[in-house]
Amino acid sequence: MRETVYVLGGGQTRFGELWGKSLSDLIREAVDAAICNTKILPTDIDMVIVGNMVGGETAEQAHLGTFASSLLPHHPPALRVEAACASGGLAIHTACAFLESGKAETILVIGAEKLTDVAGEIVTSALMHAGDAEKDSPSGLTFPAIFALTAASYMHRYGLTRENLSLVSACSHRAAVNNPYAQFRKEIPAALISKSPLIADPLRLLDCSPISDGAAAVILSTRKESPVRIAASQLANESLSLLDRASLTSFVSTRTAFESALKEANWNRNDIDSIELHDCFSIASLIHLEDFGYAEEGQAIRLFRDGDSDKAGSLPINPSGGLKACGHPIGATGVKQVLDCFKQLTMQAPNQVEHATRVMAHNLGGVGATCTVHLLESI
Amino acid sequence: MDRIPSLHRRTKALQHAPLQSGLILSFTTVRHPPSGFGVEPYTVALIELQNGQRVLAQLTRNTMPPAIGATVVPHLRKIRTMQNGLCVNDLKYEVVMKKTEPIFTVTSYVLAVSGPSGVGKTTITRSLMSLFASYAEQVPIVTTRKAKKGDSEPYTHVSEEKFEAMIASGDIISHTAMPSASESRRYGYRRKDIEAIWVKGKLPIVVTEIHLLTGLVKALGRRAILSCGLLPPGHSRRSMLSALLHRLRTRGRDTEEQIEERLKIAEADLRAFDDHAHLFDHLIVNDSLETCVEAVHEIAVMRR
Repeated sequence: MRETVYVLGGGQTRFGELWGKSLSDLIREAVDAAICNTKILPTDIDMVIVGNMVGGETAEQAHLGTFASSLLPHHPPALRVEAACASGGLAIHTACAFLESGKAETILVIGAEKLTDVAGEIVTSALMHAGDAEKDSPSGLTFPAIFALTAASYMHRYGLTRENLSLVSACSHRAAVNNPYAQFRKEIPAALISKSPLIADPLRLLDCSPISDGAAAVILSTRKESPVRIAASQLANESLSLLDRASLTSFVSTRTAFESALKEANWNRNDIDSIELHDCFSIASLIHLEDFGYAEEGQAIRLFRDGDSDKAGSLPINPSGGLKACGHPIGATGVKQVLDCFKQLTMQAPNQVEHATRVMAHNLGGVGATCTVHLLESI
Repeated sequence: MDRIPSLHRRTKALQHAPLQSGLILSFTTVRHPPSGFGVEPYTVALIELQNGQRVLAQLTRNTMPPAIGATVVPHLRKIRTMQNGLCVNDLKYEVVMKKTEPIFTVTSYVLAVSGPSGVGKTTITRSLMSLFASYAEQVPIVTTRKAKKGDSEPYTHVSEEKFEAMIASGDIISHTAMPSASESRRYGYRRKDIEAIWVKGKLPIVVTEIHLLTGLVKALGRRAILSCGLLPPGHSRRSMLSALLHRLRTRGRDTEEQIEERLKIAEADLRAFDDHAHLFDHLIVNDSLETCVEAVHEIAVMRR
């Protein structure tokens, strides 16, 4: 990082099926919480960046940058970014770029999504816009089905069993019990996950992150100091369609973003104390952990089987509950991950990892077409 | 969802899609289809074709159970129905477990020219034949009707019994009956006539109407037929029909009674362009012989 970018803190709404709240209600609530928690003056904010994917399709609200800016008394310059499920991560990355360039000094970053206003098949279609409209969608593919293709390939190649795959979601659900903002706060045993209804074979209902509403906001600054700073912010991309990939069981974008981030922060991968991982589908977690290099190809399930992924384990994964249990309001997720990292580093996390000083937020868009990695450390 | 121009582009692109068999790299069954794809689950596979290109496509229903590494062959099938009731076709793949040659390959194709009586099919075909005589040949029509003066089509005349027998034996792959007050007339195409032209390395041309075209599509597969529909000039159905009437009268081959009969059929044929739009690759308005022949020629050459 060319400048020291401090994370002043933030706030979020509960994630879930929030039928009583509109997209604007959610954004307002997250912004109020962020300003309240960081105790800054609203007028200190000199820019607003919103991450959102399908506001137009599902909430009939576009122009979200301006919408958020107009919540503040002085209407600072604002913009909205989109990179499917990585919209939140991209918003943080964009904010870092503005802060490093000196164009802004204190930025309010918001991630928000409202999905449950419309019927399930309409959300399914809208989320499919994250794929390639000409190569992927005409066959009637859905997003769970795209990840199911990677899962089928992975299981065929490495002999991963159904029982083992269920350990991944079970880990996230176990962690979310203490998180007041999570959509599901109930422990779900692996056996039940293996028996949940099929969504796209071999993926079942409890392999998939839910459809959720929610918003999160963090405030980043180069002027105001805080005990947490962003050590690296990286964005990487790969071909949009799964058709153009050399491998179905690895995402080049994750590898590139993670390696660049380690280099930028001058860290070793073993320095990381905890990961907020993009577990949009159970299979994705395994692929990510192998792409990071924490496991050999086909071996990532060991981290879950041996308890390494638990809060007290050697590599705590998603102590917040991840996308699976916290919910996945598309654009909000990447911002919420950074907020959860901030909580870990300031000892405010509901599921606190002991001695956490270096943490990672990993956000994915599409089937690994976009990836953002943010490394945060306490100073 | 139902975006007509984008569907149009896809349909056009399909004409050049590689019609090849391939191997399944991965597959999944979609239990909750997105809007527009109905409610029944279907299986989508990631397929690597013989030429190395990869596609995502549905598998046909009632196919063998899929497996990674299984061989699949393509078919043009209905993939979904739009809100206005129109069907959308796309390539679907059928699983053929063993490593076999594809069941259905287009070794070659048939150029079909169809349109209402009097639109100028015969004239255009004749010009086309002279234009690419070296590589095209007209497919003879098998008919039960008696030879008539002024016939220019290559007819093979057979008896009613013989015709019936050829249908039963599968020799005739497409046939139709023209109801007529004066005589019983049946027409058909034999598979061996078409194949004989393919064997010679030539392009078979059929001058046909909607029933025969439908039969050919069923027997040979839609993609084996390059189908051109000929429309008479005119902005409305009425003006098109009056143009036809004019041509039928000037050619002086039919009696007034027969002309009336032909016009009725022509009216049905014009409707067929709307009702069976999926049977036509190109619609050409025959306002001048030269431009029309050139258009058909260009289409045929492009496809080669």
